Amino acid sequence: MNEITLDVNGTPYKVAVEDTTLLLDALRRRVGVTSAREGCGVGACGACTVLAEGRSVSSCLAVAVRYDGTPLTTADGLPEDDPVVSSFVDSDAMQCGYCIPGFVLMTKELLSENRSPSDEEISDHLEGNICRCATYPEIIKAVRLAAKRSAT
Amino acid sequence: MTEVLPDAQPADTRQAETEPRYGVGERRKRFDALGRVRGTIRYTGDEANPPGTAFVGVHRSTAPHARIVAVHTEDALAVEGVLAVVTGRDLYEVLGDRIYTGPAFADQPCLAVDKTRFVGEAIAAVLATDPDTARAAADEIAVEYEELPPVYDIDDALRGEAFVHEELRPSSVFADLAHLRGVRGTNVNYEYRQILGDAAAEHERAATTVTATTWAPPTHHVPIELPSTSAWVDSGRLEMLSTTQTPSYVRQTVSDLLDIPLSQVRIMTRPLGGSFGCKMYDRLEPLAAALAWTTGRRVRIDATREDAFLLTTRHGARVTGSMSADADGNIVAVTSDVRYDTGAFADVGPRIAAKSGLVAPGPYRIAAVDVRSRCIYTNKVSAGPFRGFGVPQVTWSHETLIDELARELGEDPYRFRRRHLLREGDIATVGTKMHSADFLTCIDEVTRAVGWDDPTPEGDGRWVHGKGVAVGMKAVLTPTIANATLNLNQDGSATLLISTVDMGQGSDTIMSQIVGEVLSLDSRRIHVVRADTDATPYDTITAGSRSTYHTGNAVRLVAEAMRNKLLGFAAERWGVPAEELVLDAQGVVHEAKELRGSLSDLVRAKFGARGATVTTAENFTSWWVPYDHDTGLSEKVTEHWFAGAAAVRLAVDIWTGRIRTQHLAIAGDVGRAINPTLVEQQLTGAAIMGIGHTLFDEMVFDQGQITNATMLDYQLPSIKDLPEKLTPVIVESAHRDGPFGAKGVGETTILPIAPAYAGAVRDACGVRITTLPLTPERVLNHLADAADPGKAGR
Repeated sequence: MNEITLDVNGTPYKVAVEDTTLLLDALRRRVGVTSAREGCGVGACGACTVLAEGRSVSSCLAVAVRYDGTPLTTADGLPEDDPVVSSFVDSDAMQCGYCIPGFVLMTKELLSENRSPSDEEISDHLEGNICRCATYPEIIKAVRLAAKRSAT
Repeated sequence: MTEVLPDAQPADTRQAETEPRYGVGERRKRFDALGRVRGTIRYTGDEANPPGTAFVGVHRSTAPHARIVAVHTEDALAVEGVLAVVTGRDLYEVLGDRIYTGPAFADQPCLAVDKTRFVGEAIAAVLATDPDTARAAADEIAVEYEELPPVYDIDDALRGEAFVHEELRPSSVFADLAHLRGVRGTNVNYEYRQILGDAAAEHERAATTVTATTWAPPTHHVPIELPSTSAWVDSGRLEMLSTTQTPSYVRQTVSDLLDIPLSQVRIMTRPLGGSFGCKMYDRLEPLAAALAWTTGRRVRIDATREDAFLLTTRHGARVTGSMSADADGNIVAVTSDVRYDTGAFADVGPRIAAKSGLVAPGPYRIAAVDVRSRCIYTNKVSAGPFRGFGVPQVTWSHETLIDELARELGEDPYRFRRRHLLREGDIATVGTKMHSADFLTCIDEVTRAVGWDDPTPEGDGRWVHGKGVAVGMKAVLTPTIANATLNLNQDGSATLLISTVDMGQGSDTIMSQIVGEVLSLDSRRIHVVRADTDATPYDTITAGSRSTYHTGNAVRLVAEAMRNKLLGFAAERWGVPAEELVLDAQGVVHEAKELRGSLSDLVRAKFGARGATVTTAENFTSWWVPYDHDTGLSEKVTEHWFAGAAAVRLAVDIWTGRIRTQHLAIAGDVGRAINPTLVEQQLTGAAIMGIGHTLFDEMVFDQGQITNATMLDYQLPSIKDLPEKLTPVIVESAHRDGPFGAKGVGETTILPIAPAYAGAVRDACGVRITTLPLTPERVLNHLADAADPGKAGR
């Protein structure tokens, strides 16, 4: 067992984990995060996405000990008036909603690297996230709107 | 003049006159949109596990068909943290034959008892203090098998040399299957026939006949939320929280399984993170209930993605069909032999064989039909309900046939269909008169959207272009029962109790819009209670796009009953006849006497208490005329029909076989769109799922074993698979009995996608592909075969 600090949305949590404990399990079972979710367990759907120092990580593949002290962002930690969050809401970019927090964080990452992405750049960046309800048209609208809102 | 209330308390004025109402027809947002975006709404798996919860790991069969000689559990029991190991035989000792459950046939044991019927069937369960230990210990179980001859596919099954089940066991759910009890020596558990006229003679006399054998493979739903179930015993009652679309069904099943009264079973739900049919009927729930009941422990089963692939699939189906036309181009006969591969358990396959077999001829005016639709056992993962309920598979057949027939006759595939499509008042081949199934507007709208008559681009020698169109026809699940209970709260808000499960389709939002419309309330003041069988009333199922119509009607009725009750309160108070009163956005009004009272004031005045509630309850039950046993015909086989169409313009890369979608237009007749935004999302969502089934998505089996049961191997449409242009069209041909004319839509546009694409590929490069999916390799093979006429199409 290792005692590590998971720094989630600005709050430090001291948690005991095994060497092999996955970041996703540590976040869900020890910290109580609900917005990162297991969808595939093999890094192929993006439902478990979190940001580590602003960079996207598939938390179902990452071991928790590697993120000791690293600033982590999960979608539930974003404020309601975050431009990406509000753009997803205003674009109706959700159906069942299970995968959407992952798309939100991928969009945060994209816009931090590229303030006005083209539609092709948007789909290139979000390609690894699967929405089985196929809310993709609304997600693209949401990312375009978020880019506009982030620019102002 | 506003009535002065009898007490001195100030009236509740929160319901401002200027609030938007968001009634029927308005684009209201999902009430929990922000929670869905930030991930703060709680799904089943987000609920905490109380101390003492036993996590379940399942040991699964490695043999497709075998007698279980022995299950060795000692090594698993020795693992630290293991609380118990339970085998099918252990449960059978307690439950007896009640261990076998299922919606149509009682053929699914929650743990295999005497024999295993597919690779991946649950054989034994380990209960442990944490999920990882449970799964690791499940691997320590060893099973001795005595192999039996396997039945890998429908051809093996129909040869009748080996049988998946010794005898048929119809469940107690469907009385019409009772005559099959005890039938032995067959793998066909159900057969539906539709006979209209003399199809054989008409084919014989016809001027032109086309024949095709089509194959639609098994596919998986892959909702992103994995199935999860918790079960515990509370003072002799069995309680569960589960990812299910069918809480009322699960309650009955668990009651039967444990032989306890319905009142001693409670099933709770949360919003589902998608389902599309895979989280219904008997999935994890019978096992969880049996384990909790027999061990007394609180248990939790979380399926992994690999587990989820083993719970159910869409039926693979082979259809051999013929369609004939006379010299004038009239369709004189359709023959269809439909074979659904239901795998190891019938599940709801017999219903699929009948209710989808009945539309096998297609939505056309046809003089004579002969349909034989069979549900067939094999030693593979059980197939069950999946968006479209077996209809995509038969649509793939009839739309292939009519497209080829049009081409054979030198006619335009759109106009040929248009001429023969069923119209209002026509009698469908199944014998039912059509109403509110506007195929014509659907096909006109999609072809108009893609510019059907515009010239097709020349192509560059590598990319060739084509266009295709198809329609889809489906009956809504009938008969079914829906109930609704409504509490009007004293503050002028309302709480609606229904057992419809919101799995992304937005039912909670539209049901509150219906209440809001009837009561002239802002629908955002109406809360919908999540299905909980202790509180919410019986509802057959949330499936088959039935909820908008059925539950919607119950909700309309319960709101109307509430309106009448509230008018009665005012009538009593003011001493006027209720007929002279109306309910509007400000409350109850008597125009002539200038009396007005807000709902809040009225309830307060009636009961003299803040926080009081007024309750109404209503039922809506649909009816049908069961089809004739010999002919499969019925004058009312369904409560209403879904009509949809798709048109596509695409390009095929003849070097690589890749298909690029330039424009896909889809249309569905929804009767009346209660929330157009949610309708468009269902239309496009179903179409994009259909693109997956058309181009790449399939379950691959090798000797009965799934070989692509991970999301690395199983391909699903990503954001990159979106058409370059996608146009959803809402068609509103009001249904006379729908709530405000509305009916459901969730499955409509998955039906015509594959045949529209195949027609476009045929148009682009002259090859007719009848096997799904249209992978690059398959396209290339057909192109090569077309170039070398000596080879048959693959």
